Amino acid sequence: MAVLSKYLPGAKKAREDHFEKDDPRQYLMHDPIPRGQMNEMVMESMHATSWKFWMVFGILSVLVAVCFFYAWGYMIAEGLWVAGVMRPAYWGIFLVNTVFWIGISHAGTFISAILRVFKAEFRRPFTRAAELMTTFGLIQAGASIFMHLGRVWLSYWMFPLPNQRELWPNFHSPLMWDLLAITTYVLGSTMYLYLPLIPDLAMARDRSTGWRKTFYRILALGFRGTEGEWRHLHTAMNFFAFAIIPVMFSVHTIVSWDFAMAMRPGWSSSVFGPYFVLGALHSGMGAVAIVLFIMRYTMKHMDYFIRKEHFDALGKLMMMVSFTYAYFIFNDYIIQWYGGNLATDNLLHWLEEGPMSWMFYQMILFNIVIPFAVLWIPKVRQTPWLLAIVGLLINIGMYWERYIIIPVMLTINNMPFTWKLYEPRIEIYLTIGTFALFLLFYMAASRLIPLIPVWEVQEGQMAHTMRKIGKANVSTISDFE
Amino acid sequence: MADITLLALFEDIDPAADAIEKLRHMGVTDDRINVLSGAPIPYKMLGRPHPHTNVSKLSLGGAIAGALFGLFLNFGTPNMYYVPVGGQYITPIPPGLIVLFEMTMLFALLATFLGVFLDSYFPNYRPMEYTPEISDGKIGIFFKCAENEQTKIADALGVLGAETIKSVEAQQL
Repeated sequence: MAVLSKYLPGAKKAREDHFEKDDPRQYLMHDPIPRGQMNEMVMESMHATSWKFWMVFGILSVLVAVCFFYAWGYMIAEGLWVAGVMRPAYWGIFLVNTVFWIGISHAGTFISAILRVFKAEFRRPFTRAAELMTTFGLIQAGASIFMHLGRVWLSYWMFPLPNQRELWPNFHSPLMWDLLAITTYVLGSTMYLYLPLIPDLAMARDRSTGWRKTFYRILALGFRGTEGEWRHLHTAMNFFAFAIIPVMFSVHTIVSWDFAMAMRPGWSSSVFGPYFVLGALHSGMGAVAIVLFIMRYTMKHMDYFIRKEHFDALGKLMMMVSFTYAYFIFNDYIIQWYGGNLATDNLLHWLEEGPMSWMFYQMILFNIVIPFAVLWIPKVRQTPWLLAIVGLLINIGMYWERYIIIPVMLTINNMPFTWKLYEPRIEIYLTIGTFALFLLFYMAASRLIPLIPVWEVQEGQMAHTMRKIGKANVSTISDFE
Repeated sequence: MADITLLALFEDIDPAADAIEKLRHMGVTDDRINVLSGAPIPYKMLGRPHPHTNVSKLSLGGAIAGALFGLFLNFGTPNMYYVPVGGQYITPIPPGLIVLFEMTMLFALLATFLGVFLDSYFPNYRPMEYTPEISDGKIGIFFKCAENEQTKIADALGVLGAETIKSVEAQQL
């Protein structure tokens, strides 16, 4: 008896959908448009500014003026007593912010450098958006350190300059390593942002008039796209991609040593270096998801450049980072739990059922449980607003993590008579100020520099073709780099 | 006979590579040809000589200078400005490695960045031969030839698919 094969009810539709899904044009690299058109789209995205943009810009400017500059000026004039830091929590939100912003800054390097080294093609349209986060995040981190210093006018004592007190910086101190590492990272990541920007600035120069023309002409440095210029640029970018990765690892490892080198409950841990690096990547990836979502829905033509495939790839990365983060946090806590040290036991009990336990549980929920539970689902990864929400929750969780590590772990120490809960005061305004300043920088940058690296997208589209193997058309990439 | 600079614009890599080959056959040497593009095209694809760069050497030089500076900071300065701290060694090696690493990387990155400026003669705001169509994705072949050969070469490149062939002069970018 012959077996007849028929479509089941609904299967034909599913098959058609499947073919629609397999349409290569859904991928940016297989949906090329003329370069001139791409340039126009990117230029228009910079120029098209609605009243909503200026309204948000105005609100952020007021927040920066009040919460950043005024509040900081007030604290400088009055002294650190207006902040909540006091014994035993000498380190408060200023350093929580420092660690948080350095964490955010890791996303740029990770996406741009590591994915460039491994030739991950999905990186192309959003490397610059991530690199900008690095530079602007580091500015906030630097500002937060200076806030923490209190007497900022004496900050030059950190620099290796012989001074009137004949005090010389102690290069054996993790705080001194911080200065060196963060300086290296700020300069390195800013240069790494600028180098691939030069060809796009030249493109903008060719299409601008008035003050913009002058602005781009100066920044494009006379770039024309000669073979030599591309070669020098490519060599430099390759070097930067490899060299900035160990610098990135060193920065957050050194930040972790600010804590891990001290013999305090919760801090003294040999796993803190990689744990901090992973935490930084975790929050950075989440922040990139938020930025890409905002870009896609608020800037003109961004839906061409930033697609579901990019959110999907980013979601997979976030999932992997979340797994690894879970491994490190478990590793850190289980060893402390088994240690049997009384002060550490007190700390762990406090996290379990003390007044800040809500923060600890939210940290676990937002950083591990939710990403674990939802990022498996392709629909969640491919839905920009859902991924942005996951990214936001991760960032809230990571902020709590840093809060627990700094003021909470300083509070529960070896001397119970000093235990006193840290209550932030002016720090809250300054925190709002740093967030507003970060967003303000980003909004200003979105109107001044091309957020999409157009030449990198074109290079990728030139390298991608469809090749027929057997019955299937498969994506093929030529090595253009 | 005076030389003039001509620009031939191409849409794709293949005709541009053929045109370069043709120019060579017609007596225009590689040093009289310059290819401009809006995205990097590997020299092999265009059949061009390997462009030389000093950037890697400068990176290495920067790394060495940074390492020496790191050594100076870590092992030189503590002896110049003696600050004993709680029984610690004055010049211990493990913390010194951190300073050494950061300074090596910082100087290497700075030297690489400066290397691009030096090798590309950036910043350069003088008038130069250029057309904005390059950043629109066209491949521009700039070449110098004798004035009396202009028509012959233009015809040959036109056959190969050049969209535009025109004489160019340096202009303010």
